[in-house]
Amino acid sequence: MQITLSEAQLAVRDRFAQLVDEELTPSIRRMGERPRTGSSSDVEELRQMVWAALTDLGATRLLLPDRHGGEAAGQQDAVVLAELLGSALYQGPLLDTMTATEILLAEGSSGKLLERIAEGAPVALAVRESGSDSPAAPGRIEVDDGQATARRRFVTYAADAEYLCLVGVASGELACAITARDHPTVSLRRQQDTGRGELYDVALQRTPVLAMPIGFARAWPAVLAGARLRQAGYLVGLCQAALTLAVERVNTRRQFGQLIGRFQAPAFTLAAAATRIDGACWLVRATAWEADQGADIRLRAAQALAMAADLSRTVLASVMQVHGAYGMTEEAEAQLFYRRAAIERGWLGSPRALRAEVLPLLLTQRQSDRLG
Amino acid sequence: MDLQLSAAQEAFRRAVCDLLCEGSVRDEVAALRRLPPDAEPGLLDVYRRLGERGWLASNWPAEHGGLGSSIVEKAILTEQMIVHGIPDVVHTLTVDIVGLAIQVMGTEAQKQQWLPGLAAGTSLGSVLLTEPEIGSDLSGLSTRAEPDGDGWRLYGRKVYSLKSQFADFALCAARTTESEVRFHGITVFIVPMHAPGVRVEPLWSMSDERFNEVVLSGIRMTPDDVLGRVDDGWQVLHDLLGIERTGIEFEAKARRLLDAVLDEAERTGSIEDGHYGELLVELDAEVRAGQLLAWRALGGMVSGELDDVQCAMAKWHTTETGRRISELSPEICGLTALLSARDDEAAPGWLLESAFRDAPGLTIASGTSEVMLSLIASAGLNLLK
Repeated sequence: MQITLSEAQLAVRDRFAQLVDEELTPSIRRMGERPRTGSSSDVEELRQMVWAALTDLGATRLLLPDRHGGEAAGQQDAVVLAELLGSALYQGPLLDTMTATEILLAEGSSGKLLERIAEGAPVALAVRESGSDSPAAPGRIEVDDGQATARRRFVTYAADAEYLCLVGVASGELACAITARDHPTVSLRRQQDTGRGELYDVALQRTPVLAMPIGFARAWPAVLAGARLRQAGYLVGLCQAALTLAVERVNTRRQFGQLIGRFQAPAFTLAAAATRIDGACWLVRATAWEADQGADIRLRAAQALAMAADLSRTVLASVMQVHGAYGMTEEAEAQLFYRRAAIERGWLGSPRALRAEVLPLLLTQRQSDRLG
Repeated sequence: MDLQLSAAQEAFRRAVCDLLCEGSVRDEVAALRRLPPDAEPGLLDVYRRLGERGWLASNWPAEHGGLGSSIVEKAILTEQMIVHGIPDVVHTLTVDIVGLAIQVMGTEAQKQQWLPGLAAGTSLGSVLLTEPEIGSDLSGLSTRAEPDGDGWRLYGRKVYSLKSQFADFALCAARTTESEVRFHGITVFIVPMHAPGVRVEPLWSMSDERFNEVVLSGIRMTPDDVLGRVDDGWQVLHDLLGIERTGIEFEAKARRLLDAVLDEAERTGSIEDGHYGELLVELDAEVRAGQLLAWRALGGMVSGELDDVQCAMAKWHTTETGRRISELSPEICGLTALLSARDDEAAPGWLLESAFRDAPGLTIASGTSEVMLSLIASAGLNLLK
């Protein structure tokens, strides 16, 4: 038994660390912002540059098998990349594109779309008709004569996407429909959200469907588990980076004649947070290892995401507290993490909903262990 | 990353499991559960049977009664003993703490004298560290070693010592030199417990396993009885406490306890309550995370790079989780959780009530949670400086 990163994982981390370095990371963390005044062209340019760099570094090929020109890297490498993205507070279509990749791979065809993804075509996952929907309970889609009609809100980076991957209920069945994003029947409205992200309200009116993966309903739980695991990795990275900000803050801020990091109350709070983040981190990585061994990870992925999501709430509360009022200023990065974490932690299901969903799996596993 | 045991380790796990599932072992465990309130297990026959196979301290060299295996096999044994409900305090204390300390820091003569008996499951070692008013701050201990010819005589009172009523010897910290630097001048001695000048009295507690008060009234020590170097006991204690903290036994206990709570929650149907069901899924994940932290810390021992911060994280996480499960068990399972194993209606192997009484000790023994957080904050995050 070895609880360490593999050589391959370290190589992935080193490869993508080129992008999320000290110089670029502060800009990436504000990549989704629209300036209060002036043009947003600089931010758009940065977004495109980051996406191009991710594609060049192989991010969109990571989960693709050899036959599609991919690296067949598996979840272990994917979660390491997700951790890095979280630490940089990256906002963009990569995690959605990875999920769309797995949807298409599960179908076993759609070579052309996979080819485009490998080349760098971004995909936006479109799941929610309303804010209370989730990937486990998605909104409706009407599909008629090869055309889809649906309303989707909270679609991340829809404006940058080449494809939309609609997940929803069509004729009472769980279904997926992939469409072009720039078709004239697709309209977008950017939403104003607390995370200052790129979230869109998307309306499709008889939009031609490019692909409708057969057997999607059967494949979705496993695909969703992979997506949840990567999201958990993202949140772990986010928490780690936020904790680093807090540690830097308490090691430089003086109050009552000494550094506040010398007081037990903040020091113990941050030490406990560091430990819990570490536990969640290894739960994510271990579950990724199990996934790569072919195990059913639906239970563990949901548990890992629920744990990371809860942590992102408690850790960010502590991070804001130790920053004091400064943490709420525009200049401080802490507030960026605080706001972004609120969006990310419920993205693929709330912690309560996740745990309720997988309770039957825990009971089944126990039954199986007893028989085994 | 690799979460699988090697083929040899898996074979070892199965062999241990087979032995611990034998009828005679199950009978011994069942009999222990019927002990009267003022009695508790010391050395067990199952220890002897594990010892004769070299499994009890498998990571020790053959000449000291082990198999020369890695610490991983030892961790497997610990997990299996706990999973099978074998009382583990004696084993943890004797082999994982006292024995390993002598293995790592003892002279060859000390190893020859003490280790074979421990590894065979026929001898028991304990620790005499804390004192009244000392708690976790061992630098303030008042037990003194007064010079006597080429040796010393020990005077003092140690408390909260487990299993010393059964012990053949104990590791005892005493002050040999007064120093302005409080950490300097402490020496760790190997004290024979049956010698004149050592008196063991019970300190009854709410746990099934009593504390002891050990009064040292002039027992003579020689340089051969010193573990490590004279006046350098602080380093010995640091290493000794590090050995205690990989968290393996705590993660295994948390798993066993949670499984018991899940069994009862399924039996009573409380798991169908949304709140408790979700809570149990959460606790299951916490136990798994703690297990991973403990095995990561153990990995540091395997590679010879024991990481104090990783050990402290594992100890803090696993014991906080174990305590939380225990504290929540009456809420999840109802008042049945608080019925003693001696109650007529208690199911065989019932452990929730005794675990509830033991729970506060999890985050106190082997370094309190606050000490762990101090270590993580200072050595891990560069805080508190």
